[in-house]
Amino acid sequence: MLGAGLAAPRSLRAQEAFPSRTIEVVTHAGVGGGTDITARMMMVQAPGVFKQEFLVVNRTAGSGAQALQYLASKPADGHAIILVTQTHLLTQLRNPSLPQFADLIPVARATADPQLVLVRRDSPFRTPQDLVEAGKQRSLRFGGTHVGGVDHVTIFAFGRAAGIQRPTLVPFRGGGEIVINLVGGNIDTAVVNPGEAEAQLRAGELRPLISLAEGRLDAFRDVPTAKELGIDVTGYTLRGFCVLKGTPEDRVAKLEAGLIEAMSGPIYKSYLQNTGQAPDSVAGRQVWGAQLEQFHKDGREALQALGLLRG
Amino acid sequence: MRAARNPNPAIAAAVAAVAAAAFAGTFWFDAVPEGLPGLGAVDFPRLVCVLLFGLAALLALKQGNPSSEEEAPRIDRGAWLIFGACLLFLPAMEIAGIWGAIPLFLVFTGTIWGEVPLRTLVLNAIGLTAALWLVFVRVFQLTLPSGWLGAAFGY
Amino acid sequence: MEAFLGGLAILLDPYVMLMVLLGTVLGIFVGALPGISGSTTIALLLPMTIAMGPIPAICFLGAIYCAANFGGSITAIMVNAPGDPSASATALEGYKMAEKGQAGLALGMSAVSSAIGGIFSVVVLIFAAPMLARAAYSFGPPEYFALALFGLSMCAAIGGDSAIKNLIAAAFGLLLATVGMDLTTGVERFTFGSYELSDGIGFVPVLIGLFAVGEMLDQAARRVGKAKIIHLDAARVPGWAEFKKCNRSIWIGSGIGTFIGALPALGATTAALIGYNETRRWSKHKHEFGKGSIEGVAGPEAANNAAVGGSMVPTLALGIPGSATTAIILAALIVQGVRPGPHLFNEQPTLLYAVFASMLAANMFYLFMGLYMAKLFARISLIPPAILWPAVFVLSIIGAYGPNQSMGDVVIMLVAGVVGFLFRRTGFSPAPLIMGLVLGGMVEETLKQSLIIFGDDVTGFLGRPIALALFAVTATGLLWPVVSRLLRVARAARA
Repeated sequence: MLGAGLAAPRSLRAQEAFPSRTIEVVTHAGVGGGTDITARMMMVQAPGVFKQEFLVVNRTAGSGAQALQYLASKPADGHAIILVTQTHLLTQLRNPSLPQFADLIPVARATADPQLVLVRRDSPFRTPQDLVEAGKQRSLRFGGTHVGGVDHVTIFAFGRAAGIQRPTLVPFRGGGEIVINLVGGNIDTAVVNPGEAEAQLRAGELRPLISLAEGRLDAFRDVPTAKELGIDVTGYTLRGFCVLKGTPEDRVAKLEAGLIEAMSGPIYKSYLQNTGQAPDSVAGRQVWGAQLEQFHKDGREALQALGLLRG
Repeated sequence: MRAARNPNPAIAAAVAAVAAAAFAGTFWFDAVPEGLPGLGAVDFPRLVCVLLFGLAALLALKQGNPSSEEEAPRIDRGAWLIFGACLLFLPAMEIAGIWGAIPLFLVFTGTIWGEVPLRTLVLNAIGLTAALWLVFVRVFQLTLPSGWLGAAFGY
Repeated sequence: MEAFLGGLAILLDPYVMLMVLLGTVLGIFVGALPGISGSTTIALLLPMTIAMGPIPAICFLGAIYCAANFGGSITAIMVNAPGDPSASATALEGYKMAEKGQAGLALGMSAVSSAIGGIFSVVVLIFAAPMLARAAYSFGPPEYFALALFGLSMCAAIGGDSAIKNLIAAAFGLLLATVGMDLTTGVERFTFGSYELSDGIGFVPVLIGLFAVGEMLDQAARRVGKAKIIHLDAARVPGWAEFKKCNRSIWIGSGIGTFIGALPALGATTAALIGYNETRRWSKHKHEFGKGSIEGVAGPEAANNAAVGGSMVPTLALGIPGSATTAIILAALIVQGVRPGPHLFNEQPTLLYAVFASMLAANMFYLFMGLYMAKLFARISLIPPAILWPAVFVLSIIGAYGPNQSMGDVVIMLVAGVVGFLFRRTGFSPAPLIMGLVLGGMVEETLKQSLIIFGDDVTGFLGRPIALALFAVTATGLLWPVVSRLLRVARAARA
């Protein structure tokens, strides 16, 4: 991209020790949003590892669009890293003028929060089979975030893999509202992170039917995964770091090692544990890159099928 | 008395113009994807526009009170200068950064406002800028625009 | 009871007490600054509180939250710049009072009614949180739609010099609320391809523009000629007489604020606006409204601080945040290893009561500080306008830019400033516009969600008793003045 091209001579010049100045962490979340908190938790121990200050830059507009633009406006020298979520990938797909997925280098994963398919306590769906059978008879009402958002893609992929009628998305403003409407009986089911519905799961007001994780979750040993049921779909809320393409390889490696070290410290570990996220959330660029690649593909297919891709 | 006429028709015309522009704007929205249930994207805004039209018509028919000199004094040259300074704040921020633009603005508008000696204005501008910088940048660590000058100094 | 005493005992720990005091002072300060809200501060301080341990950390953050809502009223009253969106209703009457030279009265009444509202809501929280929280589950999109209509139905009556102008301003607010990506279709509306607009028009820049910048431009236009007369009693704080006058408003505000705050989808700003409406509706001095009514300060201030305790209800009892700020407090609790939910009331009652006790303490602290400092703050009106108003403008710029670090927000603020200026000169009031903007998005969204849930069948509303009851209240409120006039005419004719 343009930013990378302009910055090339500067990054060649900068052969001295890296990092040489404050590292900016760009996020699309407002101060206090879930992703913002992830960034700030990582940053508690990062300055000690890198011997440099860290600064969160919140660029909230356009579901990640502005954050991507901000990143592209910075030299590709590793001093600006972006906290990427699946939202960014969908925004890129829908806006070809933005820096695309191919313009980013994955560095390290920060969180991978699996999702569960939940129903309320007195729901007629007692088993996963009940849900799938009913879904073949009529379109199920799924709660989720906005049309064309990450939940929409996951729900669409779930519906297709399970061979049910295309689910009806009832869009809400966030996880809390989805949980309330699920308990209140306004929707049939929803795909939710366990942390968001922790109180309701513990009180037995909501029941998990299917887990969208790769393997069985420790906290939900007896909840079958979709894959076990022959529904080939996974659902995670992913957050992780990327840098702009053109960043020198040695710096990417240094960032990867350093960020993983910072996120292996006690503060970040206890943050993961207390928010009910898997301790193996932190992963290197191999795993993280592959996962982003997969979602990029799924997202494109889903948006195309839903008629949400322009041009 | 210049202001002694019914101002309502003019206000109503402005309201109707905004409603018309917004109504026209709804025709440029992207199409709603196939197969989504519920109301579309254009229905509600169009309803509000129609409502605005109706209200504008009612307002035009009503006799309004002309605004008196006390309620809305004439805008003099100094006021226009201050308005201009407010508008110029944005480009000034782009060039000199927010910490350059603030003291300039404080002294400039303060001078036009009058009654306060220039020396006090300058001292106040310096003190206030320093205090704001301390609070927002040092304590709360907000990143505020540093402008081209700021960028040149490596911020 | 034992747990409650245990909670109080925790508060006697000097370290915890110090944290509450510190949180209160910080909260008033950031609340008063436009651009840094309580929620921003809490988010920025969150990583720092990890080392404190759960109880001091939660007490500290809770105190900031309580005090910031009060702090917002200081700048709202003194320079018409609501330091926090929830203080916008306070600015409507409070700034008019300051112009009349009653800044001290307004500030003092704000402190008193804020504290009463805050304490009322914490008491409700202590006794009825789990019960009240269940109500959240009964409120789905159809019920919120009915509630939002109720809020909007009062638009014609508030502010401005004619009902038609008020309705026009409200409709503009509704139109503004449609800007951005439509939740239920994903379509971008009125964004002109700008990413800055796709998340919609934020309250903060519009509020700061309409109130503070609009006022600054107006002051610039009337700078020559009649200088503002400053009354000597600017520093007088309210006494028993004022308190008695506002008694009813405070209780109305406290009740409405607690209930609205407890609904997860509605926050302190809505609570304050509806509190303002209802205060006016039930006031015996309706004619004072719009000209600096002390009841118009007491009602919304009680409401927005009661909403603080109210929004802690779903946060603590359901683990679902009741506002942007409680979302961060929830994150803070979770990071500390506290998992909110119904079980919290049985498993960790001491911690819970420590939170309640610290909120009570914070409310007391800012009551005394507020009353004491009212005299001091009231002297802001003695600052020469040539220094005051340019400084307000500068603060407004930072305030609009700060939360999202977006130049687009600054532009929106300037445009809103021009609109606010024109409003002042043509007899429009910003109040209905703000009602429209705050509730407009909700009216449209909840209507569309309801229709999706009902399968495009409007008659689905008939199966929702709470929504029907709210529709009935709205209709009664709208029709009652007409009916009562008819009755009076009929009675006069008979006599």
